Amino acid sequence: MDRIDRRVVIPGELLAEDPKKAGEGTYVKDDKVYSQLYGLVNHRDKISVIPLAGKYVPTVGDTVIGIVGDITVSNWIIDINSPYEGLLHISEYPKRIERDEMAKYLRVGSSMMIRVKDVDSTMKVELTLNDRRLGTLNTGRVVEISYTRVPRVIGKGGSMISMLKKELNCNMFVGQNGRIWVNGSDEDMDLVLKTILIIEKEAHTTGLTDRIMDFLRTEKEARS
Amino acid sequence: MSNNVMSEIRKDYLYHLVMNDERADGRSFDQHREISVETGVIDKADGSARVRLGKTQVLVGVKIQPGEPYSDSPDRGVIITNAELVPLASPNFEPGPPNEHGIELARVVDRGVRESRSIDLDALCITPGKKVWIVFIDIHILDDCGNIMDASSLGAIAALMTAKVPAEQYGLGEDWFLPVRDVPVATTVVEFGGVLMSDPDTDEETAADTKLTVITTADGSVCGMQKRGPGSLSMDHIYRIVDISCEMAKEIRDKFLDV
Amino acid sequence: MDEKLSFFKDGIRLDGRRPGELRPVTIEAGVLERADGSCYIEMGGNKVIAAVYGPREVHPRHLQKVTRAIVRYRYNMASFSVEERKRPGPDRRSHEVSKVSREALEPVILTHYFPRSVIDVFVEVLQADAGTRTAGINAASVALADAGVPMKCLVSSCAAGKVDGQVILDPMKDEDNFGEGDMPLAVTPYGEVTLLQADGGFTVEETREAMEIARKGCEQIYEIQKKALIDRYSQLEDPEERGSGV
Repeated sequence: MDRIDRRVVIPGELLAEDPKKAGEGTYVKDDKVYSQLYGLVNHRDKISVIPLAGKYVPTVGDTVIGIVGDITVSNWIIDINSPYEGLLHISEYPKRIERDEMAKYLRVGSSMMIRVKDVDSTMKVELTLNDRRLGTLNTGRVVEISYTRVPRVIGKGGSMISMLKKELNCNMFVGQNGRIWVNGSDEDMDLVLKTILIIEKEAHTTGLTDRIMDFLRTEKEARS
Repeated sequence: MSNNVMSEIRKDYLYHLVMNDERADGRSFDQHREISVETGVIDKADGSARVRLGKTQVLVGVKIQPGEPYSDSPDRGVIITNAELVPLASPNFEPGPPNEHGIELARVVDRGVRESRSIDLDALCITPGKKVWIVFIDIHILDDCGNIMDASSLGAIAALMTAKVPAEQYGLGEDWFLPVRDVPVATTVVEFGGVLMSDPDTDEETAADTKLTVITTADGSVCGMQKRGPGSLSMDHIYRIVDISCEMAKEIRDKFLDV
Repeated sequence: MDEKLSFFKDGIRLDGRRPGELRPVTIEAGVLERADGSCYIEMGGNKVIAAVYGPREVHPRHLQKVTRAIVRYRYNMASFSVEERKRPGPDRRSHEVSKVSREALEPVILTHYFPRSVIDVFVEVLQADAGTRTAGINAASVALADAGVPMKCLVSSCAAGKVDGQVILDPMKDEDNFGEGDMPLAVTPYGEVTLLQADGGFTVEETREAMEIARKGCEQIYEIQKKALIDRYSQLEDPEERGSGV
């Protein structure tokens, strides 16, 4: 069971004297473990630091929300809210299309749910749409939060996102890159987005799930 | 890739809001964001103001120094306005000398100060033909969250109104307040989806094609205008914008620029 | 005979400080909306703001490095920040300050996590009062952490000076302009020196003394930097814990 002790640490802070305990977000120097991030300390069998800020770096298998920024001869260049752009090759589009038809299917400004297919050592990122669960987003809204808060929006075993979907009758998709898509009635979408921003702001605190449930209950009562 | 590609889904959402007479932050179309004006924030400057317009932040410093007059106005002071759109303030600002946006911003703010005759330039003469006071207005953008034009203009006049001519350090008598006789205020309105919106934020500025800035003086006359952006405006829209601007400028003048 | 300007009166400096005393320092993290990380610092009469953008794509592309992020640092003084209005734009001094400041931070930034990208640091001096480069480095360190850039540790900086033959900490404007030497220093909490410059006349012994006094000043600044970052999140402490007198 994780124990996030909610203690905020800064880069260079001493975390442990046993180098075997070094986890994510830490480094070892002279047999001692130090934080390399501004974040929250997490104690499990290893000590790790969960970042409070930073840029999303794509990993193979991640599903993210991308926006087409440019179209070249055989690739769509996708903004995935990262220092690295993603490339969607024409062959990774779920349908066989011609090069001169590319803009017809995905034009600059189109948003989509897309998966990271490959990342090489020079951070060349290849994306794919070849999956029934992926595709363009034409309705609804997209909000952007810090990717570091995504686990909190999803919750343990998907508990937070399931609750939001159920309580607010909305379709939702949370991209690993911090972009979140919601679809539902205007009123419900307004509330989901408001809630997501609260989660982002208070992600590092305890008792959040209960507070969110109370908040939703109050808001829904106020409506009716 | 540029930061300027707004997703269609975002644009659609803004249109959708407009159709329902709404804005993303809940404001009405003729409402400006929260304003705060703090003067005297840079002691080394002769006048200064830090303006917050929503999340937009701008710092304006006024420095007054003796110098040579222009040959065609040998006994009048000189105003020089410059704007630095420093890269710290936005991912879209690049280091280097002011580009067309920075130059335009400085010139429009300058127009407001100059055309309203707000500074009594005759009073800034030291020795006719030889020495006059030069008033430098330096705009430093700190955080561009939309409408840096209005924030800069507000900062400029607030800094001027509280500026002192540093006569003492040049052996020219005691320090005295810069004589400011009018209070020009700039207000910007954008046209988007057929609707006119005051004080655009970042998204509204990106989505809208056309902006119109109107600068009015204390008695409600227009002393400067600037249409910006690649789109066009109907004459009716322009007349409405001028009316909206006069009203908003009066409200801002009364509330934040204690005359 | 003219009385020589004395920098000390009964062992107290012109602004009331003792020789080893820092000017008041306040630091606030996360002050800007657009930047990825930011920090505002006041160090004596210095008012400096730092912002970090990145890691982000490098333009022009030929500047990219395949194995790591490049770091860029731009130190700039606002026209109204100094006594006589300064022409906007970089001059030779600001180019030098930018370079040594960048080199003060590069040793601690873990650039290998972000190949082919750039970490941009922008420092704007809004008001200058001797020691602007050290204030800039202090703010930049905090801004980098605030942006989530992985680092080994923070970097802290301040200067030593020499007036009336005595080594002092953190010279203010007159001590800097009319004193006998100026030595800006930056160190990591491990004691590694990442910035060192000197101009003026120091004996070898005075050099050691100056470095030691500056290092002690940096230790004090480190605590203030750390507190600024921790405070940024402590105001949002969850309501259950608030009651226990935290």
